[in-house]
Amino acid sequence: MTAREGLTRMTRVEVVVPGSGAAGVREVFTAAGATGYTALSGVSGLGHSGYHQGRLLFNDQAPLELLITVVPDDRADALLAGLRRILASGSGVMFVSDTYVSRPEYFS
Amino acid sequence: MTDVLPDLLAHRRARRARLRGDVRAAARVLPTAWPIRTFIAVNPLAGLEGLPFGTALDTARAALGIRGTLPEADFRAAFAAGRVTAADLRAALHRRGLTAPGRPALTLGGGQVEEADLLLADLLYGRPTPAPARRELTATERRAPDVADAVDAHTAAWCAAFLAEEHAGWPLPGRDRGLYGAWRGHAPHDRTLPAAAREHLRRLPPTPDDAVLEVLDARGVPEDRWAATLRAHLTRLPGWAAHVRWRGDRDGGPDLVEYLAVRLACEEALLAAAGATGADDAEPLPAPPEEPSARARAQAAVRALGLAELPAPALEAAAAVLGPLPVSARTLVWLEAYEAHHRDALLAALRAPRPVAAHRRPAAQVVCCIDVRSEGLRRHLEATGPYETLGSAGFFGVAMAFRDLAGGPAADQCPVLVRPRFELAEEPAAGGGAARRLAGLRTLGGAREAFGTAKEDLLAPFALAEAAGWAAGPLAAARTLAAGPTAALGERLGRLVAPPARTAVDVPAGLAPEERAAVAEACLATMALPTGGRAGELAPLVVLCGHGGTSTNNPYASALDCGACGGHRGGPNARSAAALLNLPDVRAALAERGTAVPADTWFVAAEHDTATDRVRLLDVHLTPPGHRAALDRLAADLAEAGARLAAERCAALPGAPRRAGRRRRARHVRSRAADWAQVVPEWGLAGNAAFVVAPRSTTVGLDLGRRVFLHSYDAAADTSGVVLETILTAPLVVAQWINAQYYFSTVDPEVLGAGTKTVHNVVGDVGVLSGTGGDLRLGLPWQSVADGDRLVHEPMRLLAVVEAPLARTAGVLARNRELAQLFANEWLALAAREHPGDPWQRWTPSGWAPWSPTEEDR
Repeated sequence: MTAREGLTRMTRVEVVVPGSGAAGVREVFTAAGATGYTALSGVSGLGHSGYHQGRLLFNDQAPLELLITVVPDDRADALLAGLRRILASGSGVMFVSDTYVSRPEYFS
Repeated sequence: MTDVLPDLLAHRRARRARLRGDVRAAARVLPTAWPIRTFIAVNPLAGLEGLPFGTALDTARAALGIRGTLPEADFRAAFAAGRVTAADLRAALHRRGLTAPGRPALTLGGGQVEEADLLLADLLYGRPTPAPARRELTATERRAPDVADAVDAHTAAWCAAFLAEEHAGWPLPGRDRGLYGAWRGHAPHDRTLPAAAREHLRRLPPTPDDAVLEVLDARGVPEDRWAATLRAHLTRLPGWAAHVRWRGDRDGGPDLVEYLAVRLACEEALLAAAGATGADDAEPLPAPPEEPSARARAQAAVRALGLAELPAPALEAAAAVLGPLPVSARTLVWLEAYEAHHRDALLAALRAPRPVAAHRRPAAQVVCCIDVRSEGLRRHLEATGPYETLGSAGFFGVAMAFRDLAGGPAADQCPVLVRPRFELAEEPAAGGGAARRLAGLRTLGGAREAFGTAKEDLLAPFALAEAAGWAAGPLAAARTLAAGPTAALGERLGRLVAPPARTAVDVPAGLAPEERAAVAEACLATMALPTGGRAGELAPLVVLCGHGGTSTNNPYASALDCGACGGHRGGPNARSAAALLNLPDVRAALAERGTAVPADTWFVAAEHDTATDRVRLLDVHLTPPGHRAALDRLAADLAEAGARLAAERCAALPGAPRRAGRRRRARHVRSRAADWAQVVPEWGLAGNAAFVVAPRSTTVGLDLGRRVFLHSYDAAADTSGVVLETILTAPLVVAQWINAQYYFSTVDPEVLGAGTKTVHNVVGDVGVLSGTGGDLRLGLPWQSVADGDRLVHEPMRLLAVVEAPLARTAGVLARNRELAQLFANEWLALAAREHPGDPWQRWTPSGWAPWSPTEEDR
């Protein structure tokens, strides 16, 4: 028995965008049928355009936000199609990977 | 069949998700705008800040029909008046790489002509750039302009009814179904629409997404054209569209897909009724206006220089010089020269170290907001006595939601960049008469509400006129003819019904002691007060002075209040910060952190009324007796400083007495603030041009004309750079928004400004219309930036001036990409130096460079 036996395979999508762009990403998540998401604000890191500062004292909008959602595979294409439109005209990156969940009914 | 259904569902979801993504992308060009109830100055083109300034203007020109800069005729007039010089233009051409030292002069018409002279002739005498016009038109604008106008009128009426509904006398039936749902229910019965259109509207799908997709399909718009098509629709009424986006993102209101569904479905129905439906690409987009060729420009420039007609090779050489500067980019050169003229003079004034009056321990330190209007108050106060003044964002580090004594919804008293960290309330102080004041406020509030309801009701106005008309008429006459005395009488009556009470503003009680100490420490650090290793000593009195602007019958009243307090008066933040810093346990925690506050230092809150220049000390009843005498002296000096400032401001206020005595001029500004017919209660932040981050010693003694944001900064005490990073990522960003709002309201008053106030009609607390319908107006009214045809605000991008180690400043930019991008894309400029007397350096994406080529020669 493998560790993943009994788990359901789904698609995990992570998007990193400036805080001001997070509302659009959440909107596309919903339109594509995602039932929820996780948001982490003030994320920091090094990207192709340099270092991104994390949390700032008096600016919640400039730092980057990481939004994570998990959808059944049959909704992934819809989600990716919408996100591509947003990312084509603004800054941000997207990571797509396979994932396994224990409670598939939460995501469908 | 069972296999087909999931596919259909997935297909539908994918189309909806693509649509949502395209609508978001299309909306980037929409102006950013906040509702008028808390008018937040923002860069209307904030969605395009990822682009270089010039490219963003080109994008917005095509989509919105804006100009983006002053017209060339205005720049040429400024040149004639000496506001821009040939040297400014030459320097701008050089910075843009259009000229270079050492290039040989051209031999033209028998003489030698420098490249710069040719370019100058083109800038000064070339055919002016064509008037702006929107070029990204909807198909219906091109094919059936009358239908496009009808769609606009219908959409605007529905937006006003739905979005300002809470202020309407009658509730909108079906509002709970959302904008599209409510409209879908009503539109088929709307008798203002043709019968055939109503019939069409009976067959609309239940969701707004599907309604938009149906229209796109019916018109054969391919997916890769969706965003462009939708953008043309969003920019037809940019004011309403911008407000819908704000509502959708901020308070769960209708979103842009609903808005587009209403527009597109209505348009399709009207086109169907007119028999004019068809593919969207039936009419080509208009071509951009034709620019004169470089040869034609060269010929004109040569003539302007008084040279003979040129042979073909010489003409080609001249055209090659002008070619890299397209006509459409000429105003950017003008703008840069116009800015440089002001910036160079400012930096020259700041060049030398300033003599600082040596107060061993000042009687008081007065911390004012960075707002440009504080500069005048600080200058005059410093002249009255042994006071030090400092500048810090006027929310004083207390990012709160605040509820005053009267209750009601809490207001976000912090920059819109941050979410409130806690909620505070104004509480009655023991034995302070708060109960009587509260009862009085309720009586006054009830009377106002009854009067307002009676005015808005269908039948009650008739009864109201019978009952109160005899008093209302003379009162209106008195408010017009004797605004000052009438306001004073009203104030006295108000104090009689609701006498002032002693109250106090909470300190953040929900926070752990160490969190409260952290808030206090950040508050002190960003103010650059002499604590925590900073040189000097805290005074016995430290005044935290917020601000607000009193005006009457002014929908834009909140634009005169404090931007750092979310468009509210700053008094509550000052009170809360002072209360926090006076707490013994906070003082003890600060001492443990190395930020000792002398035991005899007392923090006092105050509020500067920028319309009347009165400064009110707040919570005086909480001040220990030992500080009362000093506080009285300070109050007198603040009154004197305010009177001097009011007299100074009268020189620029339209209709103000110029030569009258100080007392009369002080009375005048008070009367102005109370005048319900006054369209210019004060000039607000008009004229703002720079943001200085430096100790006061860099600017003290200079008259900066209330045009400079002043943020105190002590580089020696900020070795980690955290304070500088906070200043550059928050107060500077807010100042840039304010600057951009004034800029675009001045250069594009019809699209990005609100036009003249005299025809404004208020739509709830949403915004204003010019007249009775049409688009929601954006930005500031013309009377905030100009006096008749004369500009009071000089539209320039903000210059940030930083006195700090260059490596530290560059480090902040390196860690904050969005901030660096603002500078790199030329939405604002940065001049810096490490020490007073050092030459100014210009930040560029490739490193520091001398501010101007001649900088080293100065």
